[in-house]
Amino acid sequence: MSHTPLVLDPAESIPAPLRRQRSALERKRARAGLILAAPAVGLVALVLGIPIIQAGYYSMTDWNGLTATWIGPSTYLHEFQNPIFWRVLQNNALLLLAVPVAVAIPLGIAFLLNEKVAGWQVFRSIYFLPTAISWVVIGMVALRFFAAEGTLNSLLSSFGLGFLHTDLLSDEHQALLAVGLTFIWSMLGTNTIIFLTGMATLDQSLAEAARVDGASTWQILTRITLPQLKRFIQFATVLTLISAFTALFSLIFVMTGGGPGFGTTTLEFFVYQTAFARGAFGTGAMLGIILFAIMVVIGLAQLRLLRTED
Amino acid sequence: MSTVVDTAPVPPEPAPGPVLQPRRRRRPVRSVVLFLAMIVIALVMLYPFYFMVDTSLRSQDQFLHGGGHSFASWSILNQALPWSRQLLNSTIVCTASIAIILFVSSLAGFAFAKLRFRMSGFVLLAVIAAMLIPVQSIIIPVYVNVARVHLLNTYAGAVIVYAALGTPFATFLMTAYYRSIPDDVVEAGIVDGLSYGAVFRRIALPMSVPALVTITVLQFIQIWDDLLVGLLFLQNPDQRTITVGLGALAAGRTTDIPVLMAGSLLSAIPAIAVYLVFQRFLINGLTAGIGK
Repeated sequence: MSHTPLVLDPAESIPAPLRRQRSALERKRARAGLILAAPAVGLVALVLGIPIIQAGYYSMTDWNGLTATWIGPSTYLHEFQNPIFWRVLQNNALLLLAVPVAVAIPLGIAFLLNEKVAGWQVFRSIYFLPTAISWVVIGMVALRFFAAEGTLNSLLSSFGLGFLHTDLLSDEHQALLAVGLTFIWSMLGTNTIIFLTGMATLDQSLAEAARVDGASTWQILTRITLPQLKRFIQFATVLTLISAFTALFSLIFVMTGGGPGFGTTTLEFFVYQTAFARGAFGTGAMLGIILFAIMVVIGLAQLRLLRTED
Repeated sequence: MSTVVDTAPVPPEPAPGPVLQPRRRRRPVRSVVLFLAMIVIALVMLYPFYFMVDTSLRSQDQFLHGGGHSFASWSILNQALPWSRQLLNSTIVCTASIAIILFVSSLAGFAFAKLRFRMSGFVLLAVIAAMLIPVQSIIIPVYVNVARVHLLNTYAGAVIVYAALGTPFATFLMTAYYRSIPDDVVEAGIVDGLSYGAVFRRIALPMSVPALVTITVLQFIQIWDDLLVGLLFLQNPDQRTITVGLGALAAGRTTDIPVLMAGSLLSAIPAIAVYLVFQRFLINGLTAGIGK
């Protein structure tokens, strides 16, 4: 870390008795560190660490919340033969299609804001506002928006497109589209802010230099600006990905309750349904562990991306 | 650095278009187009707020048959949603959870940044890694554990869960913040005869107020807006937070949309207020994970 190689390491110049005093001090410091870190570590271990291990254990039992009989890893194999499980995973996979859209649109919006046209700060505040709103509330409005007699259909008919009349939420194969669109809308503000933050860090001189050298706007965008924003694009993508897997509970709960059929049941919602509606705590715990495994894979992939960059 | 490049007169490859003169002149037409585009996006983002306000100001009949406005739905809101009670519940749960998060994460952040102990790096990594655990993955064992110690349907049960869920990120943020304070500041305090606890209280903690505010704002919005934890751990309507009360009401398939919208708006107002006042801190917290 130090960039002053000419200065001697201070530890080397300390005489022996002082050094002993120093190590006593170090012990004292380490003890203070342990004591101060203990409450946070304890809380996290108690409510997150131990339960994830419990979930791992109970995932191989037929737990109903009170009694559990050990079955073994075959519970997983059994679940993998359940067509509903694959139907649910398919919903998750379909929702992943929303991720690039939920990243690309905010990137465009951020470029727009970054032009700093009069009043851009007010617009920034407006775009970011939905970030403060609960997905329960967003889901409630979205429910009315997509309803058969809702805003989307009145919009369509006022543009003379009444023949496109939609009723996404009552169709098993279209309801997920409504959830996905709402999800994209919900991510717009957050991702826009991430990109705006990134653009504030851009080295303008590079783009200017390229411009003087005759590079086109497109070339500057793809070869200079976007590569400089890579870290931010990555961050927004991972955040959106994690949200798609783990943050849609409220939205689904309010908008569809997972239906029609299993049309909008994602893995996280399936955990809730399985455990708290069906009382199958063991199976619910297993689904939770599968969800956790997916998160770990995403986390490791992100770590790897960060490493290769250095 | 740029001056070197600027002097290079010949482009490395021929520009594809005929446009070679410098851009970036102020073009009024372009500004107007950009401005209009921003207005359109603003309308899309503001639509839900307009819908909530407009709909809540109608009675059920006015909403269904499209005529007129009134405060009818607001005046019967309390029958559907005990909102004053639930706003109070939200405040209690948020305050207690955030107090715990601030307490444990500032202490731990200071310890990890300045008081390195054996394996402290590993422990910090484990705490941060806990951010990867989705709520849904632990909620079932936690639910059963909380029930076992008889804390189900008490504020304490929900508060502990919220506090634990917020602690990993808060600890990460505080550790990063305390790392940016020079070690000398701490050493100087120790040399002056202060204990480590006193250095934390009198020197480090006051310096970290911006980070503490960031965590408070972020967690306030997170907890205020949460549904799942409240739904499971506070099942008694009198203990529910406003968001959970609203979620439960919506799941009951209430057909009175204007009342639901009045409730939605009411539940959103505190979070919007916090957002408007502390926007900058929220942005800081959101982008803190990117690192440098």
